[in-house]
Formats: sequence, structure tokens, C-alpha cells
Amino acid sequence: MTETTTGATGALLSATALRKTYGATAALDGADFQIRAGEIVAVMGPSGSGKSTLLHCLAGIVPPDEGQVHYQGRELSGLSDAERSALRRGAFGFVFQFGQLVPELSCVENVALPLRLTGVDRKTAEGRAAEWLERLEVADVARKRPGQVSGGQGQRVAIARALVATPRVIFADEPTGALDSLNGERVMELLTAAARDTGAAVVLVTHETRVAAYSDRDVVVRDGKARDVAGMAGVA
Amino acid sequence: MSAGTRVPLGQWARELLLGARFAVSGGRAGWTRTLLTSFGVGLGVAVLLLAASVPTALTAGDIRKDNRDWASSEEVEKAEHTVLLSWVYTEFRDETVSGRELQAEGDPDKAVLPPGVDKLPAPGEALVSPALRDLLDTEDGRKYLQPRFDGLTITGTVGDQGLSGPSELLFYSGSDELEADSGHVWRVSGFGHSEPSNPLSVALVALVVVMLVVLLLPIAAFIATAVRFGGERRDQRLAALRLVGADNAMTRRVAAGESLVGAVFGLALGSWLFLLGRSQARSIDLYGIGLFPSDIAPGFLFTLLIVVLVPACAVGVTQLALRKVVISPLGVAREGVDRGRRLWWRLATLLLGVVLLFVLGPRFSGGGADIWLLAGSVMLTLVGVTSLLPWVVERVVDRLQGGSLSWQLATRRLQLNSGLAARAVSGVTLAVAGAVALQMLYSSVQREDERDTGMDTGQADVTVYSGVEGGSDGERLAGQIRELDGVRSAHGYLTGEAVHEKTRVNEYDVRESVTFTVADCPTLRYLLKIDSCADGSTYFALDPNLPKDERPKVPAAGDRYDLRADPEKARPENPDWWTVRGKVEQARVGQDASGSQAPYGLYTTPDALAPERLGGEAAAHVQVRMVADGAGRADGVERIRNLAPITDPSFSVQELRSKAQSDEFTVLSNALMAGSVLVMLLIGGSMVVSTLEQLRERRRQLSVLVAFGTKRSTLGASVLWQTAIPVGLGLTLATAGGLGLGLLLLRMIGGGVADWWAFLPMVGMGLAMIALVTLASLPALWRMMRPDGLRTE
Repeated sequence: MTETTTGATGALLSATALRKTYGATAALDGADFQIRAGEIVAVMGPSGSGKSTLLHCLAGIVPPDEGQVHYQGRELSGLSDAERSALRRGAFGFVFQFGQLVPELSCVENVALPLRLTGVDRKTAEGRAAEWLERLEVADVARKRPGQVSGGQGQRVAIARALVATPRVIFADEPTGALDSLNGERVMELLTAAARDTGAAVVLVTHETRVAAYSDRDVVVRDGKARDVAGMAGVA
Repeated sequence: MSAGTRVPLGQWARELLLGARFAVSGGRAGWTRTLLTSFGVGLGVAVLLLAASVPTALTAGDIRKDNRDWASSEEVEKAEHTVLLSWVYTEFRDETVSGRELQAEGDPDKAVLPPGVDKLPAPGEALVSPALRDLLDTEDGRKYLQPRFDGLTITGTVGDQGLSGPSELLFYSGSDELEADSGHVWRVSGFGHSEPSNPLSVALVALVVVMLVVLLLPIAAFIATAVRFGGERRDQRLAALRLVGADNAMTRRVAAGESLVGAVFGLALGSWLFLLGRSQARSIDLYGIGLFPSDIAPGFLFTLLIVVLVPACAVGVTQLALRKVVISPLGVAREGVDRGRRLWWRLATLLLGVVLLFVLGPRFSGGGADIWLLAGSVMLTLVGVTSLLPWVVERVVDRLQGGSLSWQLATRRLQLNSGLAARAVSGVTLAVAGAVALQMLYSSVQREDERDTGMDTGQADVTVYSGVEGGSDGERLAGQIRELDGVRSAHGYLTGEAVHEKTRVNEYDVRESVTFTVADCPTLRYLLKIDSCADGSTYFALDPNLPKDERPKVPAAGDRYDLRADPEKARPENPDWWTVRGKVEQARVGQDASGSQAPYGLYTTPDALAPERLGGEAAAHVQVRMVADGAGRADGVERIRNLAPITDPSFSVQELRSKAQSDEFTVLSNALMAGSVLVMLLIGGSMVVSTLEQLRERRRQLSVLVAFGTKRSTLGASVLWQTAIPVGLGLTLATAGGLGLGLLLLRMIGGGVADWWAFLPMVGMGLAMIALVTLASLPALWRMMRPDGLRTE
């Protein structure tokens, strides 16, 4: 982790006054958010509070109706689809409740996918993917397809895939939602440890305080607004 | 990467390969999906290759026929290599058996040989085509055809290069009795002669063009459907790719790579199926169309087009399908669901086709650009009609309410996404609409093409003509025929030649003869236009077309005719004089039962001239009444044919039919039947595949419903409804569209509607196919309803 360009506030990724409605329902209603490089922030809130929408807006997957999202000083809504896709390939990583792995590819191929999309040759990409699988203790499932592995193993493969391109930010949406508590804890240990090792920031959406305990800071989303529970300590 | 940046070729290749990887990986489900697509495309490719072979297939047989033909109008001098040739033919069970008797005029080893014959058969020997050899080996052949070949020893077979097709019944026999000057014998110095063929009529050209469009368009639709198999899974896969950073253009390239694999596998499978079918061509005889494998050869350009267009079409269809889908990193959303399907372009396509057909209308010339215009407008009309189906299905299912649980499940599912079901039925709609129009055109052209043969089936079922040595032979022949099983009655008349005692030798050194016809009064009344006839009456029919100075003298009482005279001799030798007694009435000739004009000359009854006195070149004309229709009748006809050897050119048996059709029409009619069978099989196959595909996509929902306790019968019924509703709408639309198109085509050729209900068999065929498809997919449905389908997550 060498590049540390941040915005004026020192945040790697920031959002201001985000508003997003689905039909008549306001999912976000003036939400603000900031995260620094290497920081792990848990976004909490009850079901339907808008926490996943906030994550999607922050990752540039869903455009907000109003407000702005800045990554390293660049406004995401001003980027083209190809530029936002490039961000997802190189700077962002994703771990969702269900791994979103490609069932046709083996686990190692799934992990290598972001690298291969950036033009890395197969051998190198799969070599690096194998290292990550090893690190996340699922090297034994490398040649298996996602349908042939357990939920916990699948999530570790997804984390490996999220980390393989050494992203600056990892977006994790309920990463342990489909796992039992033992597996969930192990997955969180591995995710946070790997993120800290690589200096990646983690936006962790969860409704479980047990999971949120792995974060540096908690943000609660309620009625479309994000409130910093522990304050923005350390953010200039 | 910014928008508009040129993508390196390597990246293109990588993304295409990644797509290809998706197509061939993914375990059993992935392979099944790719195989289904390949199978669908393969079937389509096989039929396209077959269609591309039609021009060669149609001409190859004709070329071989031309190669064995001879110039019958040329004068050929006798030479060491010339052969005398007599052409004979017979019929067996409505099939023609033709033969050529060959006789070397010089050294048999130097004689010219027809293609497929290595050595001139010796007198009494014959070479037969493999089909004729096989036919003669059957029980039916041995019993009813072999007697005509008695006296001929089969010593070998005719090679393929001497046959128009593998099912041709042909033989070459050796002879030593042919005489160069006989009327039915040609002197041949070489084989290979081409006669210009008759051009097809405008109506037949229209029929051919419409037939090709109607038969090939469903194939194109079928290929387009096949490459969309597994579309929903593919979209989800692409969404996962978007999440890890693939942009829109990348996902499209990955999708293209994926569909290319199905198309390329399909091309390979289709080529293999085509070659497999081609190798079996010899044993396939679809409605009398038999071909050698070498005849089924698609032209280079057509093959190239298929090889290029099928993958291009696969990629194009996939890209079109993706245009309606927003693939975001979070999943897939379909565009336009809320807005509803647009009607304007569907109507515009249909209207454009209709207007073009209307404008082309009676101006259709049957050649040049008109052919392409007709093909294009028929295609636009059919595509327009078919494209209306998804819109109609959507509008109709939106209004469907209530009903039983199975009905409710089906209608709700259709309301959610009617496109898949409508697409599955579009092939049937296209085929049925085209077939209805084609059937209307066909019935009308058939009515126009059918012509009266002039044969009088009220008078006889069969006529037999045979050269006889004398009148008594003619009597004997009629008696033999009467004795045969299957024959009800046989009677006839005799014709012979006689020379008037005062006829002088003309400039050709012959004395002109007069044809004598001896028949009883009922027959005379039929042959001549006379009011009365009594035993002993004599009539004379003068050829009104003869110049006055060439007309023979009308005989009068006391005139004498030599019944044994040889016209080539100046004076009668050993004459048998017959004297005209009583008044000779002039009469005009009519026709005999076979529609042939009765001969000019002298007519009298057996009381006035005993038939056995007719000598020399006499001929017996026997009119035969057969037993009622059935095997006995057909066998009876063959028994009559067996009364003379096949090489007897003076013996012919003709079954009388009041209607006949041109050969071209018969070939077209056969081709239409063969094509329809193929297309229907293909559509049936495609529907089974797409129904299974739909079921696979819904496996989880079905399992959930079963887990809730939903009865299997309810789910089965809901699947049936889900098929039946679009099919019902599709067939209604196809019938209306087909009738409309049919009327426009009839207007173009100036024909009328021969049968308004001609569409019923097509609709029936469509319904039967749906029933079969549903039945075929039931086992898979039961399997997928198992609760373990819930494990698909």
C-alpha cells in the first residue's frame, strides 16, 4: 500500500448528501460518509434502512439521485461506465452475502478473473490467485467449482477474489450473512487481517454487532441518513 | 479506459476466449446448455446445407439422363461402332420401368456404350439398375413383374453414372432382332445429348419461391431461438463479471465468445448430421425423390455463406438479446417490461410485406428481380405476422384473470415474462402461417395445372394395344385378358391395312393403303360420330386435312380391297379380296377410350368382314373393365402387362385417368411434402429442446411449489396451459396471416381459392406437434419437480 492520495478531508472515499429513491421510497436521504485508507468501517442499521444502497452508491454501482461520491478526489458520477468498471477491476473489491462467484469457473479461475480482465496472463493470474487461496486457507478447493464447495469456503474464495488485485477499498455486504457463527467469525478474521496487511479500506455492511466488532468505526444508517457512532476520529 | 478507446486485439481474443470457456465449462449444466444450443444450431445447419444442395441435386440426375440420351433426330450412317437401340418401357405399380434394347451393328467390342454399362449385353441378357434388381427380388416383383422379364437373363447391374437416381428402374438388354428401318429403332453412334427443358410457368415459379421461403424461414427462426438457450443463466454470469470490473463492452465480447462456441459446435454437428444423412441418401426415398450421395453437394458459395452467417447470426442474436437487458454488477434487469412491447415496427414489417406483394401483384413475371422481390415480400410478411405474436400474447395474458390454480400459475408466469413462451411458439407460427399460404397457392396451382387427359374412364379402366399377326390373334388376346383375375370384361376392335384394287404405285414406290377397323356396333358408335349402326354397316371416315388431290376415293358398293396386300409391291400377290357390299356412309371420327383419335379409313362390323381375315400389320385395341378399386384391380393390371415380354414395343397397357398433372408439378408436390416433413420434424425437435430449457430455468420455482405441497397434476396442467395459451394464439395468428398471405399470392398469379379449409390440416399438424412436445417433456417435468431441485442455490 503505497499510494495514499486522498481528498481534501484526508478521506480515501467520501460521500456527501446522497439521496436515492426507489419509487416512492427514499433509500438514502442526505447521507454523508467518509473512509480513510486502511480503515475498516462497519455500516449498520435495520433491514431496509438503506445501508446496502449506501454501499452500492459508494462503489459506483448505483448512481445517486443527488449528492456526490468522491474517490481519491474524482467524482464517480462523472466517470463513464468503462472508467467505473476499471475502478471495480483495480481499486475496488467486493464480497457479498452470496459469493457472486461464476459457477462455470473453478475457484482459482474465479479468483484470477479480475487480473485476467486487466490483461494479466493466465499463468501469472492463477499463480497469484493460488497464493491468496492459500492465505485464506482454501487452497484445497482451488480446482473445484463454486457449486462443489461449502458456503464458508465459497466466501473465502470471494474474499480472495476481492483482494487479488490489491484494491484500495473492499466493499463487503453482509459477508457472513449466510454462514454459521463459527465460519462467520473465521471469515471476518481472515478478511480484516488481509485488508490490514494490504492496507485496504473496508466498507462492511452488516446488521450484526458481532461482525461490526471487527471494524475501526461504526456508522449507523437510519431513515436514509448515516450517523457516525464513534465520531470521525483520525479523519482530518 | 475511456469510452471510444480502441480495444487491443489481444484483449478481444482474451474476452472471446473467456466466453468460450463459459460455454464449455460449468459441469453438466453448462455442457447440457451448450449441447442444446449446438444441437439446435446443428439441426438448422444440416437443413441449410441440404437446401444449399438442392440446385445440384435437381440437376445431377438430369445431367446423367442427358449423358445417356441420344440424338434421335440425327441421321447416322452404319459403322463399326454404331448400335441399334430400341426404347421400351412398362409400368409397375405406378412406377415406370424403362429399358433400352441394344444391338451392335459391327464388332460388339467396339460398340458405343451408354454410361454405366461396361459391356454390351448379349442377346437374351440384361443389365438392370440396382433398384430394379431389388424390386425383382421382392415377392411382389417376382409375382407381378418378373414374367415380363422371362426370356432375359440378368447378368449384371447398371452403374450409378448411368442412372438418374438410385431408385430409377432401368435396364439394358441385348438383342439380335432389331432392324434399322423399323419405326421404333434408332441408330446410335454415341451417347450424350441435351434437349432444352421447358421453363416453369409463372405460377409454378411463384410456388417454388414461396416454398423455399416458407421452408427455410422457420430454420432461420429456429437457429435464432437455439442460440438464446440458457440466456437467463448467461445474463447472471455476465452480472458477476460486471461486479469484478468488466464493462459493458467486455461483457458483450464475453457473451459473443460464448455464443460463438455453440454456433461453431452447431456448425460441426450440423455438418456431421448432413454428411451422415448424405451417406444414407441412397436408402432414402422421400416421395419418389431418390438421390445419390454425390448429388447432395452444397455449392461452395452457399457453404461459405452458411459457415460465415450462422456464427455471425448467433453473435448478432445474442447482442440483440443483450440490448434489452441491463446487466449491472448487482444483477440483471430487463428493459421495456413496464413499457410493454412496441407494436409499430411489427406492423410496419407486416405492412411493408403486404404492400410489396400488392404492388408486385399481377405484374409478377416469374423471372429476374421479381423472384427476389417476391421472396423478400413473403419473408417480410411472414416475419411481420410472427413478430406480432409476442405483442399479442402479452396483451392477451395481461387480461387473463381468475380460473383454477393451474390456470392462475400459468397466466401469472406468462404475465411476468411471456417473451420466452412466445419465442418458443414463433417457429410453429411461422411454419404454419407459411404452410397455410403455401397450401392455398398449391391447391389453386394444382387446380390450374390439372388438365383433362381426354381419357374416358366411363368407357374403360385400361386400354391395351397390341400388334397382332392377324385378326384371330386379336380375338385371342381379348380372350386371354378376360380370363385374368381382376378383369371384369374386355372387348375391343381390330385395325388393319388394305389396298384398293385400283390404287396405283405412288412416287415413293408404294401403294397407299386404307386403315380398316372392324368392331361391333356399340364400339363403332363410340369411335365414329354416327346416328345409327346395324350389323353389316360400313362407314368411311375421310381425313379432312388432306389436300383434295391426295384424298382417297370414297369406296362404293362393289369396290374391292386386298386384305393381304403388301403396299410396297406394285401388284397384289395371292390377294384376299374383300368386296364392299351395300351403301358406304361417310362419318366423322371420334376418340377411343384412351383419348386418341380414331383412325381415318374404313369401318365395318364383323358381319361384313370376319376379323380373322385381317392380316399383315393388324393391331388389337382392347378396352378392359377392371374389378372395383383395390389390390385385386392393381394386381389385375399387372397381370395384363405380363401378357407380353417387356421388350415387345408393340404391346402397351394404359391405365386410364381423367386428370393428369405436369411432371414439374408432381416433382414440386413431392418436394413440398418432403420439405414439410423435414421442417415439421425440426420444429418439433426445437420445441422439445426449448420446452426443456424453460423447465430447466424454472427448476427451483417448480421445486419450491412442490415443497409447498402443490399437486404434480396442478403443476403439469399449469405447464400445459403455459404452452397452450401461446400456441392457441400463435395458431390463430398463423391462420389469419397465412390466409391473408395466401390471398395476396393468389391475386398475383390470378388464381382463385380452391379450398378455404385447406388450412385445417396445417393447424391440426401444429396442434398434434404441441401435444407430442408436451408429452415428450413430461418425464423431464416430473424429474424437475422433485424437492431436491431446491438445492440449485
